[in-house]
Amino acid sequence: MASTAADSTAQAAPTAPPSLILPPSQFARLQPHAYLLAHLSPPASSQQPSLRANGRSPSQFRITSANTGSLTHTNGSAVVRLGDTTAVCGIKAEILHTEDIPSWSVSHSSSSLASNKRRKLTSPAENLGADREDGSEETDDDDDSYIEDFSLLVPNLSLSTGCAPGFIPGAPPSALAQSLSHQILSLLRSTRIVRSKDLQIWYQRPNLGREELEVHNEDEQMDVDVEQDRSGGATPEPREIKAFWVLYIDIMIISLAGNPFDAAWLSVLAALRDTKLPRAWWDVDNEIVVCSDLVSEARKLSLRGLPVASSFGVFEADAAAGWRAVLIPDAEEERKIADSERKGIRRRWILADPDGYEEGLSLERVCLVVDRDQGGSGEVVIVKLEKNGGFAVDRKELKQLVEISAQRWEDINQILGQC
Amino acid sequence: MMGGPIASLHPLSRADGSASYKCPSTGSNVLGSVNAPVELPGRRDALKPEDATIEVFVKPGTAPSGVGERYVEGILRGALSRIVLGREKGYPRRGVVITLAILGGESIGRGGSYLPLLPALLHTSILALLSASVPLSMSLSATMLAVNPSGEIVRKPSITDARAAASLHVLAFTSKGHLLLSESEGRFNFDTWDKVYENALAVCHGTSTLSSDGDVAMTENMDTQPLEGFVRDTVEDHIRAEYAWKVDAA
Repeated sequence: MASTAADSTAQAAPTAPPSLILPPSQFARLQPHAYLLAHLSPPASSQQPSLRANGRSPSQFRITSANTGSLTHTNGSAVVRLGDTTAVCGIKAEILHTEDIPSWSVSHSSSSLASNKRRKLTSPAENLGADREDGSEETDDDDDSYIEDFSLLVPNLSLSTGCAPGFIPGAPPSALAQSLSHQILSLLRSTRIVRSKDLQIWYQRPNLGREELEVHNEDEQMDVDVEQDRSGGATPEPREIKAFWVLYIDIMIISLAGNPFDAAWLSVLAALRDTKLPRAWWDVDNEIVVCSDLVSEARKLSLRGLPVASSFGVFEADAAAGWRAVLIPDAEEERKIADSERKGIRRRWILADPDGYEEGLSLERVCLVVDRDQGGSGEVVIVKLEKNGGFAVDRKELKQLVEISAQRWEDINQILGQC
Repeated sequence: MMGGPIASLHPLSRADGSASYKCPSTGSNVLGSVNAPVELPGRRDALKPEDATIEVFVKPGTAPSGVGERYVEGILRGALSRIVLGREKGYPRRGVVITLAILGGESIGRGGSYLPLLPALLHTSILALLSASVPLSMSLSATMLAVNPSGEIVRKPSITDARAAASLHVLAFTSKGHLLLSESEGRFNFDTWDKVYENALAVCHGTSTLSSDGDVAMTENMDTQPLEGFVRDTVEDHIRAEYAWKVDAA
């Protein structure tokens, strides 16, 4: 049905009487499936390449730009544009006192000692590769449990900005906004991108006769350890975590034209890279956490890796693909058909970074989050893979998509490096 | 080590269709009901008037539902809407409402991973859809596999296995062997996923569709039946019980 409509319009448009000519924009609204199909499968005689309605090739992403530090009242912020999809992310750091954590007094007596010890053991290694993922494997395990246990990362995504016709400003968060918030939170956790050590505010009880060192950013901390080692294995002074930084990560999609997840995640990444936390320490006399207002003393987060998301949608030439009862071939049979031999309604296209129009026409979605091993080898690591809603993407296709995503990682790495 | 999953069809009398499902390895226990076709008050005809709307609700056992449930509802809707034939007679413009209550198993906190529950949720919904006689193009079966830090693939992982795993994978296959859904998290590379795929296909479909690996086939024979057969057997048993009067009379 769809293909006949496409063919007839492609041929009939120039010759038909004027009253029957539709401008392309109207055709796109009336017959969206046929419109995109006509673009993707031009008649062989026309010598045109197979392009999407928006002029991109199937594996081409939209033009991406990122700008950091746009919001002055946040600790870190970013504006990311993926074509017409725009996400603004602001990160605000707030202090959470351990006294305000009900379970802290129960759990911390053992855990803080343990982490204290481990911190000491591993601090030289961390000192060497302080800026990037390095020697982190053994240091992290229960380090990161703080982030989960006390919810130190709080992402929230809002679509209620009038970003697209379906989203009314001021409405309660839609199911889409909620599931995107969840995806971002679980990705922040599973990639362990933020180190819990960056979020801890310590208090070191002063030794008798030495009161100048209280609390501390990274470098000073190392010095204390080194000094103590030198002073002949004196018993380490009790240090304790007095507070945590909680990062509130707020994402507003101010314009939605498809693929909100990639835009939102990229804005979170860019904002995290931009985030600076002031030097903070525990003031014993006033029993409060005090922050330094010197910009020079503020330090950036040291993130683990750079996981980059790429989403894909599948467009099927068969307009009835979503509801055919019996015509779906067996998987075995299906795999034997080479892509070049696919004809007629069997044809399908995997579209990278689908825009709003294409998203409405694709049931099957793939989202891949990939990173490159920082340990020199540069091997592509998949951090998250989601494929749902269809049968077109199988092993072979996924392998290609991983390659495209790896290429996308390079591009994003470059874009983020420039801002 | 453990028996296969336990399922029963039509435990609820008021719903059009219902099913309960218990997975022994993760301990998850899900009760699902399906009402279809029903009139949905909030349905807008502008949205696909020729198709049925599929609504999925997931209710956690102990907490009010939150963002995690919205997310898993979206996943289930995506997978099931490809199988449900929403254009059959009586279905367009109406709704297929699937409600899944999590009765037992590990409770999932905010931002926690839903993967350990996903196979149970999928199996419950497909059984409940079958029990409600909703027209389907195919059936499905799903499984979770864990890859532990040394790179071995663990079948039927328990909750503790899942916590310790380097990566977790849930794959769902249709009864015709298509990969319908694949959700993975944790760090892994494509070759690992490829092995996971082979294993998952063997778990869901047994040896018949397994192409190359001989020893996987052996273990599958000694292990429990493939999951696809499990869905089929559950329905067959139920039908046999329902029609016992007729069979006896004959």
